[in-house]
Amino acid sequence: MKTNDVILKTGTKVVSFMIFLFSIHIFFAGHYTPGGGFVGGLLASSAIVLLLLAFDIKTVKKILPVNYITITAAGIIISILTASAAVFFNKSFFTHFFDYFHLPLLGKTSLHTATLFDLGVYLVVVGVTMTIIQTIGEDE
Amino acid sequence: MPKQILLNFFLALLWMFLTVNYSLTALIIGYLLGLGLLFMMRRFFKERFYLERVWAVIVLFFIFQRELLLSNIQVLMLVLRPRLTIKPAIFALETDLKEDWEITLLSSLITLTPGTLVIDVSHDQKTLYIHALDVSDIDEAIHSIKTTFEKAIIEVSRP
Repeated sequence: MKTNDVILKTGTKVVSFMIFLFSIHIFFAGHYTPGGGFVGGLLASSAIVLLLLAFDIKTVKKILPVNYITITAAGIIISILTASAAVFFNKSFFTHFFDYFHLPLLGKTSLHTATLFDLGVYLVVVGVTMTIIQTIGEDE
Repeated sequence: MPKQILLNFFLALLWMFLTVNYSLTALIIGYLLGLGLLFMMRRFFKERFYLERVWAVIVLFFIFQRELLLSNIQVLMLVLRPRLTIKPAIFALETDLKEDWEITLLSSLITLTPGTLVIDVSHDQKTLYIHALDVSDIDEAIHSIKTTFEKAIIEVSRP
């Protein structure tokens, strides 16, 4: 006897978008204010976990057809490439660069290579968390 | 309703390009002009003019605020009373709402007002099971929910 969880499902459809947006905001806020790649990644995976709670694993795999192990690998590769890019410019390992660019629409923007490193961290956190939860959840 | 809002936004963008003034003020002026045009041509659409539905949402918000205040005072009276003479009950409420979001909204509004709490929704989504803290007359409670919240939600969702 399964209960009718229409309220949970409808609430999830609205709230998951808000959590994803907040995770992106936290990711970009990490340079000057609290936040960053790790917290953002955990928030993004919490949104996916909410989807898993409201629906089932098959439906979520249909919604997000991604392999989380691949995402983890991609994150590690991005981080390592960002860290080792400084070696080719005769600087020491892990040296970051930043400069001001004039972008259309945004105006004067400071672009920093630490953001790329943080993106790698973000992807690794999402991948690892979701891999752990899915492998535990799939055990019958 | 979404079609009308999209058309209104498109008219605002068109006004911006016509006046060659790409600022927020031009966008707002264009939006208001488009609103006037939509009001003029409102019989052209199958649905109602969309500001009526926006107004219905505002009315629903204030109905919820009123019910929240009144039922909070009722529960406060129950708590402060020296003798607990309450009659809890679980009753079924037949609802006329169809869509998922309407059912969710009604359940949330009933749950957020103190004294009543939705505990289950039936599988055919025609019945809500509600636990009430103090019910002397069940028909009266059903009638009050039906005439306040459900009527306001139907007013919002009517095309």
